[in-house]
Amino acid sequence: MPAVKKHRIVDSITRESIMSNLANSTRLDKRGLLDYRNIEIETNILKDKTNGSARVRIGESEVWAGVKVETAHPFPDTPAEGVMTCNAEMLPISSQYIEPGPPDENTIELSRVSDRGIRESGMINIKELCIKEGELVYSVYIDVAVINEDGNLFDAVSYAGTTALLMADMNKFTIEDDKVKILDERQPLPIKSLPVSTTFAKIGDKIIIDPNADEQEMATARLTLVTDENGKYVSAQKGKPGGFTFDELKEISVISKEKGEEIRAKIRKAVDSGS
Amino acid sequence: MSKNNIERISGRAPDELRNVSIKAGVIKNADGSALIEFGKNKIMAAVFGPKEVHPKHMMVSDRAIIKCRYHMMPFSTDTRKRPNISRREIEISKVIREALQPAIIMEDYPRTAIEIYIEILQSDGGSRCAAINAASTALADAGINMRDLVTACAAGKVNGQVVLDVDDTEDKTGEADMPIALLPNTGLITLFQLDGNLSKEEFDEALELAKTGCDKLYKLQRDALSEKYFDNKNGKTEE
Amino acid sequence: MKTNSVERKYVMPGDVVIEGDYNPIANVIKDGNKIISTKVGMAEIAYNGVRVIPLNGTYIPRIDDVVIGKVADMNGFAWEIDINSWFFGILTGSAVFGRQFSSSRDSMKSQFNKGECMIAKILSFDRTRDPLISVSGPGLGKIEEGEITYITSSKIPRVIGKKGVMIKLIEENTGCRMTIGQNGAILLKGTDEARTKARDAIKLIGNQAHTSDLNDKVISLISK
Repeated sequence: MPAVKKHRIVDSITRESIMSNLANSTRLDKRGLLDYRNIEIETNILKDKTNGSARVRIGESEVWAGVKVETAHPFPDTPAEGVMTCNAEMLPISSQYIEPGPPDENTIELSRVSDRGIRESGMINIKELCIKEGELVYSVYIDVAVINEDGNLFDAVSYAGTTALLMADMNKFTIEDDKVKILDERQPLPIKSLPVSTTFAKIGDKIIIDPNADEQEMATARLTLVTDENGKYVSAQKGKPGGFTFDELKEISVISKEKGEEIRAKIRKAVDSGS
Repeated sequence: MSKNNIERISGRAPDELRNVSIKAGVIKNADGSALIEFGKNKIMAAVFGPKEVHPKHMMVSDRAIIKCRYHMMPFSTDTRKRPNISRREIEISKVIREALQPAIIMEDYPRTAIEIYIEILQSDGGSRCAAINAASTALADAGINMRDLVTACAAGKVNGQVVLDVDDTEDKTGEADMPIALLPNTGLITLFQLDGNLSKEEFDEALELAKTGCDKLYKLQRDALSEKYFDNKNGKTEE
Repeated sequence: MKTNSVERKYVMPGDVVIEGDYNPIANVIKDGNKIISTKVGMAEIAYNGVRVIPLNGTYIPRIDDVVIGKVADMNGFAWEIDINSWFFGILTGSAVFGRQFSSSRDSMKSQFNKGECMIAKILSFDRTRDPLISVSGPGLGKIEEGEITYITSSKIPRVIGKKGVMIKLIEENTGCRMTIGQNGAILLKGTDEARTKARDAIKLIGNQAHTSDLNDKVISLISK
């Protein structure tokens, strides 16, 4: 792929087809407006060097997540809390439109939104990541690599990151004579919930779920909404320079919960069969 | 031949390669790609090009320029690696580019760039050699004119014994590591590095051993391309 | 020996196709006495030389090729057209408006805008410059409707077939009208069903281009 400009251009007849299909409430790949593409979740894809890992494909978008749990000195203002970091990397292998180098605003947004989706939901109870107050805590790293980009990386990164966390285990420690001692046992991470991300896009006046790359390019606005299994809304991000009406937002919030449940079941199934 | 015959930590024979599999055409958006699993290494290579050169001033009027990036994901190593690119990765990017370049017929693509991206998803010793094997398969997959494929393998010395394909554990206690890359049909060596302590005999032995490793890996590269393009594993079929 | 017999075999970069005093035609290099393949493909050894038909690779423009492209960008005096090759095809303002053309952004947009598709012809090309293209002529011009599907450009001859046998076969059996771009882009026109059948046939050719009985395989696929 030869000559390209900096960003994706959806050609005029594809654009036409997408619009006329939307008018009939379908999409180019024959999906309904609120249908996800095929979601594939595979666990333990990086079992040799990670505490937990997963590969997620949504249609042709593909991401690999790896969780590493290390120990560290706690931050001075939170001596009894562990540390959690989530980092997503849009790799140049994934698309002709991505250049190597320091992360651009899209990559940074993807990274920070994925981080908040896990952090704000309290998925990992960082208070239970303390080994010895003021001295040693667990540091959980979730790193996600984007391998092929075809839209909706927000959800793919979320599913991979959360699945990898559910698959992860870590060392166990005990305090003996005021000293930290590592035990032979392993334990799962202190996981309190499973937040599930759903991403919507607006093209014209139609709302679709799980946009692919062309649909994402044509969309005027995008919304990622994360819910947990208690029906709580825990994280959201609107992107692209357009907007949603109040009614649209309400409609999306209802669908997000429903779809979230379906996908949560998929993730749990993958974790159960992988363990 | 080495005087010792100590069993390797990995249980392998001195001239035994780790398990390797190569698959071509694994990234839809790339012009060419390959995934290699080399022992515990998991590495993806993607090729984009020939394409426009950015920035324009780097363009060369009578040939392509080759860009190569070797990058490790933070989760790829025992201790989590920080996302910023390290000096080690920059050096490895350079030696890999210089290993692949001689095989690419750059004059066929004036004023363009050929970009090679290598992502280390899991690293366990010998990643630069595994990366070269994946990258040259990806170049062939992209249809870039090449004089030959490029095949790479390392030999080393562990516990006083010259061995083939040193893994991460062996490397930590080993006395030498010699990664090489070559064009299999001409025998031209395009990557050659050495770390360690080898006598003349050991040097020659390691070189020979690395070459036999390359022979085995070349066959796997051919299999990967045959499987994708010729629907069989022979690589040569009369129609 | 029959002078029109052709020996064929699968090759990869670095493979010696044949040794001897042969004329290297395409995708091969000569090294002393050896003719070596530079691509993954099907080598053809004939009396007049050796060539490799690649099974992958970017489209290389040739003069008079009909291509299908889309507008990637434009400036005051030309459009840059994505023709699935490593350079953009250049469509000059004067080629469309005539010699009186003066650069004015608005009138450029009135003819072709970013993302719009066209059937064009390669006017000139040498590897030191971007190819010049034209949209004037029978069958050329803006594409208003249809669907574009892609295949590796080196496989286009198989989509056409000997003397057009394959394209005729597909059109007659699917009801889809096809316009073929030498750059690997194919315009499909017709009902949803017709286009789907044609697309499937093209995909099959893409996967099986190097095999025999291609006509039979395509017929059995689209007759279902």
